[in-house]
Amino acid sequence: MIRLENVYKSYAKGQYALKGVSLEIERGEFVFLIGPSGSGKSTMLRLLLREDTADQGSVWVAGKDLAKIPSWKVPYFRRNIGSIFQDFRLLPNKTAYENVAFALEVIGKSRKVAEKQVPQILELVGLADKMHRLPHELSGGEQQRVAIARAFINRPLILLADEPTGNLDPETAWGVMRLLERINRTGTAVVMATHDVGIVDQMRRRVIEMDSGCIARDQVRGVYGLGVAQ
Amino acid sequence: MGLSVEYVVRETAGNLWRNRLMSLAAMLTIAVSLALVGSALLLKQGVATSTQAWKGGVQLLIFMQPNATKSQDRAVVTQLQTLPSIEKYFYVDKAVSYQEFRRLFANQPDLLNSVSESQIPPSYRVVLKNPSEAPSIGQIFNGQPGVKAVDYNFAAIQTLEKISSIAQGVIIGLAVILLLSATVLILNVIRVAIFSRRREVMVMKLVGATNWFIRIPFMLEGFTQGLLGALIAAGAVLAIRALFNYLIERFQVHLLSGFVLTSHDVLMTEIVVFVVGVVVGTMGSALAVRRYLEV
Repeated sequence: MIRLENVYKSYAKGQYALKGVSLEIERGEFVFLIGPSGSGKSTMLRLLLREDTADQGSVWVAGKDLAKIPSWKVPYFRRNIGSIFQDFRLLPNKTAYENVAFALEVIGKSRKVAEKQVPQILELVGLADKMHRLPHELSGGEQQRVAIARAFINRPLILLADEPTGNLDPETAWGVMRLLERINRTGTAVVMATHDVGIVDQMRRRVIEMDSGCIARDQVRGVYGLGVAQ
Repeated sequence: MGLSVEYVVRETAGNLWRNRLMSLAAMLTIAVSLALVGSALLLKQGVATSTQAWKGGVQLLIFMQPNATKSQDRAVVTQLQTLPSIEKYFYVDKAVSYQEFRRLFANQPDLLNSVSESQIPPSYRVVLKNPSEAPSIGQIFNGQPGVKAVDYNFAAIQTLEKISSIAQGVIIGLAVILLLSATVLILNVIRVAIFSRRREVMVMKLVGATNWFIRIPFMLEGFTQGLLGALIAAGAVLAIRALFNYLIERFQVHLLSGFVLTSHDVLMTEIVVFVVGVVVGTMGSALAVRRYLEV
């Protein structure tokens, strides 16, 4: 599903954000990407979303070599990938329903399709009763659920999450995590960059730890701190 | 790419309304500059019509009687061929003269209907080696049997042409400057629109909107500004034509009596106005989109 082969990426001359990273993520996997700020997590997510291209090495996502996708095809590629962020990235002047429907509208789906699918997905994320609220009338956790609904509405193969619980209190964060787990169970691979020790330790999923542009650790059922899972 | 008309119309109208003052400024600049372009074109066409007979360096017009006999005609031709100061001459027959007449008096249908082709004088158009000899040569033909009238008023015609070409230059120059500023204004309007909606643009890219899907509403915005500006300018061109006609009729300016703007001329001018308006509008927005959308 995702394969990086000896990937290098630098933004400033001589300073590498990624230094020869190789990894493979299978269909339906759930992966935590951890490591200190500046270790290369965000760069990796940017490469996977094709917001940037690698300087060296190759990045394969959903069966495609990203270096070979012409820029006009990038939008079509992105429709296979859902993404959520720490700051939710909702449109403030649109309701929860409209924010999710927007993702359908933008790829040319009809209003009828939206009328059918959007309430379903909002129900799935537990916001059926708050469909017509604006983002500022929702709590942080609820806003992130809207963002997840928007990311998932096109049934992506991969969901990229950049610190999705970073702005949430622990209890709300767990709500979001349970939602991501449910999405993962439908077969969507989830790659989540996070600093949340508690979540990583309790979920016991694959952990990839980054350190100054290299993979420091890759464990199948890992925890946040050093040490091997029992 | 599945662009729905409804979506595009809604987005474009929304953008225009959000930046209505700037849009208005861009539109009016286009309107004023295109009105100038239009009037320069009309001026050019009017002058061209009124000086049609003097084209090609003709300095002397000899109008024959419509019913002149063959021998009278031959006498004139013989003189034209033998006089040493005549560079060349050509004959304009009744049919061609009638065409010119119809064009010249297109705005006076009463006159057009009352004159038939057989009543139109054919003419000789003469180019002289030395233009200053026009009056003396003219005298030779004036009053000769079969000759209706002689006209060597070309000096005034030349002055008219000169003034008009200077005026055209100045007007077109102004219009070009204004069109450039209109382009910059539209570029700025679109830039502001994109900036104020960068969050939306970011989200659109995130969920996989194609570049054209993002671009088209912005480009249509500039297109609309250009089109509306052209519409105003088109109205202005019609008004200017009416004003010309009124002035000529009211003051009976002799020199300008042939200053006729046919519907064809006006139509061509309107087409130019629309094309330039739309091109300027779309160009401004295309530039802005390219530079500020970085898609």
